[in-house]
This record gives sequence, C-alpha cells and structure tokens, in this order.
Amino acid sequence: MDMSPYRDLFVSEARSHLTTFNELIVRLEESPGDSPAIDELFRHAHSLKGMAATMGYEQIVAIAHIMESQLSRIRSGEFELLPALADLLLEGSDTLARLVSGVESGSNAFEDTAGLIERLATFDPVAEVPPPVHAIPSHENIDIPLETAASAPHQFRQTDSFKSIRIKTETLDHLVNITGELITNRYRLAESIRLAGAADCQEPLHQLTALLRNLRDEVFKARMLPFAIIADRFPRLVRDLARKQGKEVHFQLAGKEIELDRGILEEITEPIVHILRNAVDHGLETPDERVMAGKPFGGTITLTVCRDKDHVDISIADDGHGMDPEQLKQKGVDKGVISPEQAAQMTPEEAYQLVCTPGFSTAATVTDISGRGVGMDAVRESVHVLAGVLTIQSRSGQGSRFVMRLPITVSIIHALIVQSGPFEIAFPLTVVTRTLELKRSDIREEAGRSSILLGGVSLPVRSLRQVLRLPASPETEDALLPTVVCDIGGTLHAFSVDRISGQQEIFVRPLRSPLSCLRGVSGATITGDGRVLFVADASALV
Amino acid sequence: MSRTVMIVDDSLFMRKIMRGILVQKGYIVSAEAASGIEAMRNLHTGHPDIILLDIILPDSNGLDLLESIITACPDSKVVVCSSIGEAQVIQKSLDLGAKAYIQKPFTPDKVADVLENLED
Repeated sequence: MDMSPYRDLFVSEARSHLTTFNELIVRLEESPGDSPAIDELFRHAHSLKGMAATMGYEQIVAIAHIMESQLSRIRSGEFELLPALADLLLEGSDTLARLVSGVESGSNAFEDTAGLIERLATFDPVAEVPPPVHAIPSHENIDIPLETAASAPHQFRQTDSFKSIRIKTETLDHLVNITGELITNRYRLAESIRLAGAADCQEPLHQLTALLRNLRDEVFKARMLPFAIIADRFPRLVRDLARKQGKEVHFQLAGKEIELDRGILEEITEPIVHILRNAVDHGLETPDERVMAGKPFGGTITLTVCRDKDHVDISIADDGHGMDPEQLKQKGVDKGVISPEQAAQMTPEEAYQLVCTPGFSTAATVTDISGRGVGMDAVRESVHVLAGVLTIQSRSGQGSRFVMRLPITVSIIHALIVQSGPFEIAFPLTVVTRTLELKRSDIREEAGRSSILLGGVSLPVRSLRQVLRLPASPETEDALLPTVVCDIGGTLHAFSVDRISGQQEIFVRPLRSPLSCLRGVSGATITGDGRVLFVADASALV
Repeated sequence: MSRTVMIVDDSLFMRKIMRGILVQKGYIVSAEAASGIEAMRNLHTGHPDIILLDIILPDSNGLDLLESIITACPDSKVVVCSSIGEAQVIQKSLDLGAKAYIQKPFTPDKVADVLENLED
C-alpha cells in the first residue's frame, strides 16, 4: 500500500503528540502524583508508536516503544518520574521530533539512536540519587489555567477538515501589503474627489471605505495565531534552564489563547526567551539563598498575556531578588553611561531601563545560559521595532517584572499625525497616552531641563523641533503649544509640536539602508496626497 | 455480507488509513469517531455492520467502551484494533464479545482477511 498520501498527516499528528508529551512531562515533574497525566503520557507514546509502525518508521517505533515501557512502569507505581528519567524521556521526545522532521523533509537522514535506546532501556531508578529532601511548596494556591490534557491533542483537529486550508505565510504577507496600499490609495482617491468637488463619487467612496475596513479586518484575522503557538515550548525551556542551574522553578503561563499577528509572534519569541533565560539565570536566587531569605525553596516565573483594546501586554515576572535602582545607577556612572547628575535625577523606572543599555550587565557571574548580560538592548530594540513599549518594574528582594506592550497587528496601525517644521510625523497610538495644549507658563525650567506638571506628576517636556534639530518656531509668547504625551518605558515624556493634524490609519513600510540608520524613526508611510510621513520611535527621541 | 463500518480511533491519521483500506476493499465507512462519547453518539443514529474499535482512547477505558457498544448494538460486529499485543488484553476483548482482534500495525490484506471471515 502506498503510504505517501498519509505522510503529512503523520507529521502533523506526531508533532501534536510530542508537544503535549513535553508539556505533560514538565507538569508531572511538578506534581508527581498526577496519575491522569501519566496515563496521558503513556497514550501519546503509544499512539505515536502505532502510527510510526503503520508507516514503517522503525527508528521511531523503537524509541517510542521503550519510552512507553518506562512510562508503563511509572503507571504501575513501580517508581515515580525521577528527574533523570524525565531528562531521558525529554531527550527521547527531542530525538523523535528530529526523526519526524526527517520524515517531513524526506531526507530520512540517519540518526544514531542506539545510545539513547540503551540508556532508556537500562534506566535503573534505584541507581539514581534520590532528589534532595526539601519542602516542595504546595501547588494548591497556584492558579494555573491548565487545559485538560485530554482536550489538548484535539485542538487542531478542526483544521484537518475541508473547512480550512493551509496557506503560505508569504501569501498572507502579500495580502497585508496589498491591503495597506489600497488604504493609502483610498486616501488619495478621497483627496482627489474632495479637490474635484465630485459629489457623485461620495457614495461609492463610502462603500469603498467600508469594504476596505472589512478586508483589512479579515486579512488580519487570517494572520492571527494563538500565543500558544510559541508558548508551548516555554515550560520545557524554563525547566531545562532551571535544571542546568540547579534551581527549582515553577513556571506559570496564562493567556496563551490570546491571538496576535503571526509577524509579531515571530519577532517576539526571541525577546521572550531572552527574558525567561535572564529570569532563571539572574532573576531567581539559588535555592540556598532563597531559603536564607525566608522564601520558598523553588522560585516562580509567571508569563502572562493579556489583551487590552488594541494592544497586548506580555508580562514576565519572577519572585527573585529584584534589582536595586541605586546599584544600577552607580554602575551606570562607573561605566560612563550616565553622568552623576543624570543619576541623581533618575526615577527607579528609568534606572531599571539601564539594563537595556548595550554592554550593561548586572549579574555578578557570567554563565553559558544568559551569555554575558548582553541582549536586553536587543530585546528593547525588537519591542520598539514593533512599535511597542518595554516597561521594567522591580522590587528589591521581591522580584522583577518585564512588560512588553505590543500592538496586535503589524504594518497597518493607528497613528497620531503631528507637524513639526517641514516634517509630518506619525506617533503610533500605542505609545501616546494623551494630547495637551500647553501655555508657556505651564513649562518650568529646572537645571536646564523643562518639565510640566500633569496630574501632580512632573514630566519632562521637549519641543519636537529641538529634538529634530530644527530651528525654533517663530510662535508668539501667548500661543498654545500642542503637546503629545508618550509613555516610554513606563515614564511619561511630553513633546510639544507645531500642530496635531489628527488620527489616521497608516500602512507602515520599513525603511531600508541608508534611511534605516535614522534615529528616532521606525518606518515610513505615504499619505493620500503622496507625501512621505515618518513614523516616530518615541523611545529614541528622549 | 457485512458492508457498513464505523471506525473508532482518536488518531485522524489512523482513521484516514483505515478508511483508505476499507474503501479499497469495497466497504462503506458509515461513520468515524475520535472518542468513546462520539462513538456512542453515532450509534444513536444507526448501527453499522462492523465497528472497528481502538481501545486506547482519551476519554474512555477501551474495554468498558467495548462492553457498552456491544450492549448498545448487539447486532454489530465489533473488531478491536489496537497496538497492544498482550495476550490477556486480546483474550479479555474476545471474552467481552469482540469478534476479532487486529493488532497494529496492520496491512490492508490483514484487515480485509479478518473482516471477510467474521462469523455471523
């Protein structure tokens, strides 16, 4: 019988089994008595074995079989899932994943699995050193919205019917580009109709506008994927990192059903991995330090995704030792990143942002996990490229929280258009908190810094002309200054501008070299009448 | 001759392969079920001549399900189809009323052979 028509189905179903298998191993390590999880694990190994046998993939059969045998011993109560066996089972799962990829690519590259099979077959629970005896914190108080394991493997089933089809992501990118260009052209058309005074065209223009809005929404919907697509591997990642570091970590994940544009998911994976690595490596104390500080032996890392109107907050929190703003400032001064005067004026939130300065590392030691503390600058950069905001909060002794606020979609965004000198600049609405009209007398000058009071809080204010090194505007003393307030890394900054032209939906195109070197600009768009409008990277303007 | 078949297997992959074999051999696949509940629900709408039953399912103990199915439609012939090769599981299935036991992996001829020779 020709089995090739079933190969794709085998690959997708095998992957689904392996993903759930990994999740269950990590879950079972946290609560060893979870017998439904053991049954589930067994079932996944068993199903995979059966499928592979049907297709004639002997190597996969052999590994799945031996994993199934060991799970059967755990199921019968012979022993618990010891960390060393969990390591072996995960290694087995990784090897299976590679073999499945080999099936997919048709390469069928030989993989030497004899050693792994031998180690799995000869695993002896008695020879394993029992895990250190320590109080494992109760899980009763931890609210983890775990999906029932039984439902997990079925969540992709519906996509297997004729109601959905696979489509190249490239095609979806083209659709966004075309939609973006259509939106730009609609503005042009609207402008021409207005100039020509063609009243007859108003009705079809309205129709076009409504249809374009529908098209845009549908195209974006097609590009949305649940956060789980990237998050399902995080529990395993954290678990492996923690094992390497000799730390015990409880990883909690909430909001993985929330959907984001696939382009954003793609760009944000590495930054999240980086923050998670940092949290395990530098954020959490060693078990001894934790016990001495009166904390539970194991640390907790929480990854939460929540949606708020047109943006998503991805937050990664640990209950480790937190960061000391004074220590950070001192280090900044020592490294010549900031002056002592700047340090004196810095808020704690601004001080935490120092960790995103290239080459700035706060960890006492360098490890192979988090590298040399470099990378937070890359994290902040990635967030900014997506027109997002990175906020860092921390409490000494209690932990840190990194929040990435991101738009839900890429490319087509809502922006506030302002004018400054000859330039028109778009501020993504995700960073704008409000607009104001300032009187000259509202601005206070202190130690060479201008600031305003907003709701009792002092925030720095600068003229956008000054930031862009344009000549000062010749406005009169009593004129009102239109001002945009932006949230940059959790701190508010105000920019006075010549004019606020309004809000518009814009199609952002990335800038290519040499324009990509422009500071303070993250992209550009073309307006209805053909002018180029730059999109501000507000964080680079301060 | 028995011609309509319901396939009960949680793996879409397995169901598709089985369907391919059955159609090729001239059977009519009247229903597919991915779980015990789905299988029982399908039985409300009609009894197939043959039920091919995988006994490792996410929501049910396969042998309990086997009993329920046989009670619900005693006229259908249930054939257990599983990769479990333990003699006691096979015997238990037959004791409970399964007409045959096909061990995975199967070949099209093996499936056809077993189904053609089911006793009435």
